[in-house]
Amino acid sequence: MKKLLVLLIAVVFGGQMYGQTYNTFEPSKTQFMIRGYGHTGFEYMDSGDETESTFLGLAYAPIFLYKHSDRLMFEAELEFVLEGNQLETGLEYADVMYVLNKNITARAGKFLLPFGTFMERLHPAWINRLPNAPLGYGHDGIAPSSGIGVELRGAFDLGGPTLNYSVYATNGPRLNDGSDEPEEAGMLRFENYEDTNLAKAYGGRLGLLPFSDSSTEIGFSAYSTSDTGEQDSEYEDVGAFLFALDFSFVKQISGLGGVIDVKAQYNNSNVDTATYFELEDDILEEYSFDNQSNSFYGQLSYRPTMASSDFVKKLEFVGRYSDFNAPEGAEWEEKSVQYAFGLNYWLSWRSVIKLSYQTTETEGGHDGDGLTNTDGLFVHWAIGF
Amino acid sequence: MKTIHKIVVGVIVMTIVGITAVACSSTKKGYTDVPDTATAAAEEEFKIEKSGAQMWGETCNRCHIAPSPADYNDTDWETISLHMRVRANLTEKESNKILEFLKSAN
Repeated sequence: MKKLLVLLIAVVFGGQMYGQTYNTFEPSKTQFMIRGYGHTGFEYMDSGDETESTFLGLAYAPIFLYKHSDRLMFEAELEFVLEGNQLETGLEYADVMYVLNKNITARAGKFLLPFGTFMERLHPAWINRLPNAPLGYGHDGIAPSSGIGVELRGAFDLGGPTLNYSVYATNGPRLNDGSDEPEEAGMLRFENYEDTNLAKAYGGRLGLLPFSDSSTEIGFSAYSTSDTGEQDSEYEDVGAFLFALDFSFVKQISGLGGVIDVKAQYNNSNVDTATYFELEDDILEEYSFDNQSNSFYGQLSYRPTMASSDFVKKLEFVGRYSDFNAPEGAEWEEKSVQYAFGLNYWLSWRSVIKLSYQTTETEGGHDGDGLTNTDGLFVHWAIGF
Repeated sequence: MKTIHKIVVGVIVMTIVGITAVACSSTKKGYTDVPDTATAAAEEEFKIEKSGAQMWGETCNRCHIAPSPADYNDTDWETISLHMRVRANLTEKESNKILEFLKSAN
């Protein structure tokens, strides 16, 4: 019996001692990590005829990072949003990337498109200085946000200045020919998960940081496709060319006692002219229009990081102008101008409470032909993790 | 639009070829120069390079407020650095030096 007890003790404690001796708890080569962000808030909107106020359910966007090696990684971002009494889910991106050498990285899958910088770098709620995107982005926007395909990207150190680039091929956009949604005939839809024709969209962005302190970046993006319509349809050969110009300046300026952050982007969309149909008094009438759209935003923010008060240091003042012009003659013809002002309080580098007032003047659009003024008050709380 | 599309495709193809040629070309010198040791040491001493801390402040702040090094451990920072290198199109040097700084300061 005594021998058996000694044997059991030796097995139990011996195993633990062995484990403690030889398990060095070194990190494994492969790593899995969940990051992401969430935001919630309150909105009050007044458009003259209609007034609404609502607390917003939390939007949650987990980001999954799997580092297979120092060169190979998988990344994906999901999005969960409570909207219209329903839980909406989305796959923002999911791609595999491989660092080929110090200047070239290859990506494949669904990735955020480097069309300007807003959608690729600045749209997450804990990064965006205002509670929503400028005009021209989102559901009815003209700037593509993501695509399915392959991409090469990288950067070159020019001995002070830096040059970064990306070139890609994706499924490309799908032209809304008006058969299902006549009020949106001529619009490009970028959520083209299964290609409807043989043509691909090709594009890229070239960014230059001319100064060694990396404070300034100017970028040019282009996105082009020869076909946007469904294969074998009369719209198949309708091509599209989009371009964007972006600018960024971020610098701590002692004379101003804080950090100045300037961001701007101009988007231009040019789609081949085509003939669409509309039902007017039970008669099918054909029409066409010059399918050109553009949008612009310019944003200035200031953080008094050199203030003596801890409270003041965490404040940020923001102002943004944005406009959006949809083609004249289209069912979705629109001219909108928006001014947004905000006061932010940074709880930490990745958590911010945003108070914002926005006023938008819209002529045309989905809401009708007249002029609409919409004022909005937003209180949002965003956190990155 | 067809002409513009052809031009865009042509520019992209030339960009890919050019970048591949530059990125894959050797950075080694065609011949080996042998500087005297004192000169080489002096050159090294006077070479002014940005520190990882400076790059962390300048580069991260381009999009978001620079993160606190203490918020993640070394292993996490390695994963995040690779993710950010690609997402923000950073150079290898920027990414490595920022990672070194974050690991040393957390």
